[in-house]
Amino acid sequence: MGQTDPDEELLARVGAGDPAAVRALVARKLPRLLALAQRMLGDAAEAEDVAQETFVRAWRQAAAWKPGGARFDTWMHRVALNLCYDRLRRRREIATDQPPEQRDEGPGPDRGLQAADTGRRVGRALQALPDRQREAIVLCHYQELGNIEAAGLMGVSVEALEGLLGRGRRALRLALADMVEP
Amino acid sequence: MTEERFKVLAEAYGGDISRWPPDEREAAAALMAAKPAFTQDVLVEAGLLDAVLDDWTRQPAPAALVARIVAGAPAPRRASRWRGWLMPAGLSAGLAAAGVAGLLAGVQLSEQAAEGGDAVALVVAALDPTIVAEEV
Repeated sequence: MGQTDPDEELLARVGAGDPAAVRALVARKLPRLLALAQRMLGDAAEAEDVAQETFVRAWRQAAAWKPGGARFDTWMHRVALNLCYDRLRRRREIATDQPPEQRDEGPGPDRGLQAADTGRRVGRALQALPDRQREAIVLCHYQELGNIEAAGLMGVSVEALEGLLGRGRRALRLALADMVEP
Repeated sequence: MTEERFKVLAEAYGGDISRWPPDEREAAAALMAAKPAFTQDVLVEAGLLDAVLDDWTRQPAPAALVARIVAGAPAPRRASRWRGWLMPAGLSAGLAAAGVAGLLAGVQLSEQAAEGGDAVALVVAALDPTIVAEEV
């Protein structure tokens, strides 16, 4: 990377058991990691479990963290994503198949809050995407990672990432057509 | 940059070119100057989907989750075995109660906060008033 890891100093203090550093690291990382898990899994309780387990591993890693390799933030994203994938795999083993890519049924006639309803529909449409497409969109659109970092996290080329993003967004446009059309 | 490449980028990264790969932005800007009508249409179409996606807001981090995570962190190295001698039981209980009160204050505050980051910052601040939570 060639750049200093912005978490390096904080991490060293966490490794030394500094309670203030622990709390600062939680404040810095938890919101984004929880959001990542919520969007990957679509389940609040499971997302909390993933966030907590990610921190359990981070605490173990803190004292032994060696600067110069991957950034700590990237490492935490990787851990959280792997945990999400474990859970998604387990779900597939229990249920039989992936949810079909189908057009969303649209808003119900008696729902009141437009924004909340929109959010729920977007959430459902994202959950209906194939996992890799959803991951690409979550990393690039919601987590706002750069293309190189996102592709690195997913273990794919930038071209493959762009393909996943394009297919995912086209599927979303189709599923949410009534909301997206001008 | 070709029109085709411009479209691929918009379909992948959305309608805001500041979120496109940095090494493609200059060429994209040049195409926008040369073909304003085409590029505008492409960006607006991608931007409409961006706006819909942004309606899916995240849930804030519950105070109890923050407390669980903090509780699992490495213990201070200088955790002293003399603490039992130096800290009478009454004082220990008092400090524990103060900690719980602080956490509850954080929970209450976090419930008033609109965003997850704010909630975490408030709970963390309640857990330790000596620090200011950052980057949330």
